[in-house]
Amino acid sequence: MHLWQATVPFCLLASAALPAAAASAWGFTDATVAVQSKGAGVNSGLKEELSASKPLSKPISLATVDTLRVTLTTQEGSSPKRPHQAFLLLKDDQTGLDISYPFTVKESGKSRVELTQKNLPIQFLSLSDPVDARVVIGSLGTSEAYDKSAFKLSIARNPDEAVPTIEPARYGKLPEIHHIFRDDPSSPAVIITLAFVGLVGAALPLLAGLWLFLGTNVNHLSTAFKSSPLPHAVFLASLVSFEGVFFLYYTTWNLFQTLPAAAAVGAVAFVSGSRALGEVQSRRLASLR
Amino acid sequence: MPSKRHAASTTSAPAASTPTSTPKSLSSGPATLKTNASAAEIAQHVWQQYLTTTPQRTLLLDAFMFFLVLVGGLQFLYCILAGNYPFNAFLSGFSAAVGQFVLTASLRMQTSGSGPGSSKPSSKGKNARFAGEDEEQTAGISHERAFADYIFGSLILHFFCINFIN
Amino acid sequence: MRWCLALLLCCLLAAVNALSSSGSRLLVVQEDSTEKSLYSKLWADLESRGYDLTFESPKSDKLALFEHGERVYDHLLILPPKAKGLGPSLTPKHILDFLQKDGNILLALSGKSATSSAISSLLIELDIHLSTDRSAVAVDHFNYDTISAAEKHDVLLLQRPGSLRPDVKAFFDATPPLLAPILRAPVTAYGYNPKEEIPSAEDIQATGSQLSLVSALQARNSARFTVLGSAEALEDQWFSASVKAPGGKKTSTVNQEFAKQLTAWTFKETGVLKVGKIQHHLATEHAERNPKIYRVKNETVFEIEVSEYAYDKYVPFEVPAGDELQLEFTMLSPFHRLALQPVRRTETSTVYGAQFVTPDQHGIFSFRVNYKRPFLTNIEEKHEVTVRHFAHDEYTRSWAISGGWVWIAGLWSVIGGFLAFVVVWLYSAPSSAANAIKKTQ
Repeated sequence: MHLWQATVPFCLLASAALPAAAASAWGFTDATVAVQSKGAGVNSGLKEELSASKPLSKPISLATVDTLRVTLTTQEGSSPKRPHQAFLLLKDDQTGLDISYPFTVKESGKSRVELTQKNLPIQFLSLSDPVDARVVIGSLGTSEAYDKSAFKLSIARNPDEAVPTIEPARYGKLPEIHHIFRDDPSSPAVIITLAFVGLVGAALPLLAGLWLFLGTNVNHLSTAFKSSPLPHAVFLASLVSFEGVFFLYYTTWNLFQTLPAAAAVGAVAFVSGSRALGEVQSRRLASLR
Repeated sequence: MPSKRHAASTTSAPAASTPTSTPKSLSSGPATLKTNASAAEIAQHVWQQYLTTTPQRTLLLDAFMFFLVLVGGLQFLYCILAGNYPFNAFLSGFSAAVGQFVLTASLRMQTSGSGPGSSKPSSKGKNARFAGEDEEQTAGISHERAFADYIFGSLILHFFCINFIN
Repeated sequence: MRWCLALLLCCLLAAVNALSSSGSRLLVVQEDSTEKSLYSKLWADLESRGYDLTFESPKSDKLALFEHGERVYDHLLILPPKAKGLGPSLTPKHILDFLQKDGNILLALSGKSATSSAISSLLIELDIHLSTDRSAVAVDHFNYDTISAAEKHDVLLLQRPGSLRPDVKAFFDATPPLLAPILRAPVTAYGYNPKEEIPSAEDIQATGSQLSLVSALQARNSARFTVLGSAEALEDQWFSASVKAPGGKKTSTVNQEFAKQLTAWTFKETGVLKVGKIQHHLATEHAERNPKIYRVKNETVFEIEVSEYAYDKYVPFEVPAGDELQLEFTMLSPFHRLALQPVRRTETSTVYGAQFVTPDQHGIFSFRVNYKRPFLTNIEEKHEVTVRHFAHDEYTRSWAISGGWVWIAGLWSVIGGFLAFVVVWLYSAPSSAANAIKKTQ
């Protein structure tokens, strides 16, 4: 950002002071405003007379290729005179933008200024409403300076062309950001789940039925328990308690509770299992199986 | 399952030959197939052969394997239909069925080779479980040893699945 | 006894320092000691606010901003010199070094004499551009004082400035990133060289509100530099003058009040923010304060205590309407940027807080409060924490998720089937049918 630093004595006011009429005043006469397109004839295009007392009713449109020309003769009182300051001031009240273009003034007071869109700061190009074009004439001395709206200038842009913008770096609050969380995975409808749980559960009775159909029985249970009761009982119990240990691990236990229990049950199962299976083998060798 | 296939093929392939070609030919066995048998007839013949020639103990084993296929298939179907959340539970439940199936298949391979009909107990010692290891070179390990291994493997499988299902 | 003395010294120091938040040693650089009386009201003002004023001429041999590499003064007020430069001890480099070491500077320029090249080169370093014509002054034919400048129109009458933007605190009313204009010229003002009779159009470089009469710069270290376009505005003559705009009523000026605000801001009596306690913790009761580690999706509370210095004491800092004190939860880029809301007030501070859920992303995050605003000293706070993933025992158990029931049932039915199979395998006698087969064989 460029800041132009001015040097001047100044005073600050607590309240606004409105200017009133003074002895002699600055003004202008013979004023015209013309808009000329590039390549068109000298006298083609729009041309309007300007009045010092009231602004033009219609806004003047300035397109990309057009040149705006304002000519006027400055006067102090009613005699033409060259002022110290003769500006064409463009001002937008909504945004507070303002810029001045000095007139080229001759000794006779004849002044002219030319303006194209290239001369405008790009902040003006993005304005949609017409800006206020004012003529400012002032000079040293006691004569009252002139500052009145002359016409409205609307800056016409080709809608297809993008409006150039600049985004100056400014400290301020930034847009809020809220982290978007991944969706929690959702379970399917409970009814489907329950149906499949039922189907899976039904597989066990199906297995039992199939075994019965194939003539399964536990007839050797008594034989086995007669020949070696303790190993068989302990072996079966150890297998069931193995799964029991796993179930406890699933529900409440941690690994350090599970492993010693599993090791103990495993040792029992190994010893009893070798005895029990020895009995089973003897049955097999006796062709009972 | 090679034994099953073996049993089936030995009876069905030389369809024109005499039924006595099978070592385990049974009096209640099905009639031999004709040369121009249709696919359905062949399938039915194979099924009949399987039912009649497979030892009953092996049939029990096959029933258990069928149960495992059913449970595993249902779980897989549910995963396809209803999504895989929670995925670890699916992996755990499904692999429990698959792993149990594989272990049972191994047990079947190790025990069905010498069914009750053709069993030739070669071991003479009383402590057959340990004596059985002598005959491993020729007839594989004893049924009881295979069953002990099966229980050991199954328990480890169950532990891992329970651990993983959280 | 020694302890008591030490304590006493501390108290005295505290009392002396009580006014500006960053020290009271003020150096006034003034070429001509006879001009000192022109600003007597300003000096009285400053002294009454607790500053130790030292007057030096830029030509003086004794003048040095640094001693043993440390600042000798806390603040610097430079009145416009008539000579070409500010002398060997006030080169632009020295002045910038002073700024780098947290010293504050108020530089006044004057339209009466040409601005020295040393000063314009210093200002260009700070991106403040003076007219290339060194003796240019600003005039305005609409807002001048008819009593003192009826002919020349170079005494401008200005309204008190409002706030720069709606969301910026106004320090200079009746109460850019780094650079901000405090006082702009009226739209009809322009600059010209009074030595030339009539300005030609090409000479006019800046007009209207592009002209800045007072500009402020706050460096990244919050050191302040103010350029005042008019040293005359500080003179006694204008502190309580009566002025009259063209066609207006006679009014008195408020330069004294403005000078107080301007010096107070420049020398860090206002607009100084201080961060007190910073706390973050889980949003549960009796949670550990400022833990090093959080888990993903933890409900977290962050609190920051901010005070603002106002002339002689710290007061609770209030964020201007339209602005926000924002908290960022950042890993490389912000995952959250939330407005911190005032939670409670103490006598000297406001506690701002926000509650949010840590993102579902693990990594090294930081709580960041980065509050940089025009006219306020910068707040830049960064507190690093680790956000970890779920521990293996923090996940939902499988039975609590209805979708997993089928697989749980599958697993346990396999286990049940296994147990049944073991029993069947061990104790199943060959069925009668099988026996019959065996017998026939």
